[in-house]
Amino acid sequence: MAVKGKVMIIEDDRAICNFVRRVLEANGYEAIEVNTGREGISLLASHCPDVLILDLGLPDMDGMDVLKALRAWSLMPVIVVSARTGENDKVKALDAGADDYITKPFGTSELMARIRTAIRHTRTTSHAGIAKDDKFTARGLTIDYGKYRVYIDGRDARLTQNEFKLVALLGRYAGRVLTYDYLIREIWGPNKSYDNQILRVNMANIRRKIEKNPAEPEYIVTEVGVGYRMIEGD
Amino acid sequence: MKGALHELRELLIPRRQTRAQILRNCLITAVTIVVCTALCAMLSGLGESDNAVQMIYVLGVLVTARLTDGFIYSLFAAVVSVVGGNFAFTYPYFELNFTITGYPLTFVTLFMVLVVVGMLTGQVKRQGRAQAEAEKEKMKANLLRSVSHDLRTPLTAIIGSSTAVLENYDAFSDDVKKDLISHVRDDAQWLMRLVENILSITRISGGDVRIVKQEEAAEEVAAQAVKKFRTRAGDVKVSVHVPDELLLVPMDAVLIEQVMLNLMDNALQHAKSATHIDLRISRRGSDAVFCVEDDGAGIDEAILPKLFEEMFPHAQEMSGDGRRNMGIGLSVCKSIVDAHGGTMRACNRPQGGASVSFTLPMKEETQWQSKEK
Repeated sequence: MAVKGKVMIIEDDRAICNFVRRVLEANGYEAIEVNTGREGISLLASHCPDVLILDLGLPDMDGMDVLKALRAWSLMPVIVVSARTGENDKVKALDAGADDYITKPFGTSELMARIRTAIRHTRTTSHAGIAKDDKFTARGLTIDYGKYRVYIDGRDARLTQNEFKLVALLGRYAGRVLTYDYLIREIWGPNKSYDNQILRVNMANIRRKIEKNPAEPEYIVTEVGVGYRMIEGD
Repeated sequence: MKGALHELRELLIPRRQTRAQILRNCLITAVTIVVCTALCAMLSGLGESDNAVQMIYVLGVLVTARLTDGFIYSLFAAVVSVVGGNFAFTYPYFELNFTITGYPLTFVTLFMVLVVVGMLTGQVKRQGRAQAEAEKEKMKANLLRSVSHDLRTPLTAIIGSSTAVLENYDAFSDDVKKDLISHVRDDAQWLMRLVENILSITRISGGDVRIVKQEEAAEEVAAQAVKKFRTRAGDVKVSVHVPDELLLVPMDAVLIEQVMLNLMDNALQHAKSATHIDLRISRRGSDAVFCVEDDGAGIDEAILPKLFEEMFPHAQEMSGDGRRNMGIGLSVCKSIVDAHGGTMRACNRPQGGASVSFTLPMKEETQWQSKEK
């Protein structure tokens, strides 16, 4: 089997490292295990992996510092591993340049999906700038960037301008979580930065137009306390 | 020796008093003395006897001892009362004189009475505090006992199953191995849920630390809870119903998600024959109502009224096989909802099955703060 990519894991717990490495290898990735932050920083430069899985709670230094050190010279995708209650950590890591996060305890299928998404995005952002007549499709949802329209099972969802902008933005980064602050800044400008309510109201309206049941969203998933995520396109 | 000194100090001025508290105590002492003196001045103006003066100062010291923290304040009040009383309200007026016949005895007795009153009042207060402390310790011990029990059973199963696979790897068929390993996973997941409940408790009962509330869309938190719950619901169908209007509720989303998960877990484990679990969100006045319904056996009418009453109601009832009891689940829910200013109730539905619901107020007097800022 051809190697799909090289993944580095910086995680101090050996049992977690062990199972992640086994799963990666079984799925055709090359895995590099590192147990400390310092070792990680030095090995990142020499190995240049395709994806980095970074635990935020390391024994020798804060995982955030590893992320900052890496972002000084590289745009490689980083998936941060954090504890359940650390929404603030997640938001901070995403704002500091992490591409995605995964919460402990995580299943292997969830982890593999995140890695696939991260690798896909590095490959697509290299030829960024989406053409005017581009379309995004995921199951029954189609975003027509040229016509500024969103279709559900072929029917126009009749989104307002801001609602379309929101869906369009999430569609462009499908599979990745976008933080509340980022979305508000992109759509309403920097002055609205701490008013989450306007975002919630818009999202509630969007869900009532595109989802069958707004409490069981199929297309746009909420990451409570962090942001929203569009499902992967077809 | 050092210990006795320390104790004396602690008796006089308890440690960890902030400057504001010390100031408050001083103020109370001063106000009490001034009020007493004013009263005495009024009474002696009316020509009442000196005995009333003494009684009023005794009362003043009692009030000081009751309202302040630390014996030094009531001691100070006692000294001022005796000296001031002698100075202002006994013959010769506005002169200090302790030597007139009968005076030394009167004032020494008065001083002793004042000191003893001050000390006794302080002691009563300290005992009250010790009792509250003891209650808290008892609660902690109960929690620990209940948790240790809940931990031991699944751990035994995990160790047993994994050891069995390792030691009989060649003898077991693939199906048997798969079965044992999936039990290891189920038990580990159960432990993880238990740990999350314990974390929630420490988050709300860590002293008087208030939970950080943020306005969240009720449907989003419910969606996340249901998504997590589906992975362990098996064949049971789960559905969510939300109103057309968006309900924005100030809450700690992680904790409220935990409440919904616990209630759904409970329905799954206790309602034996349940095939459907519904989570309904609605609005009642200025409250958001979250209701978990199942179509199972319902809740035993005998335990229904005291379902949320005790802190850890299942801790004692749990026998050897009680590990699926979610011992602390419901009490965790209750404490979380209480901390949000909401209410909780449970009943059996007329068409069968149980319904457990909780409300959260949608408006708060205090401004909600943003977590990120």
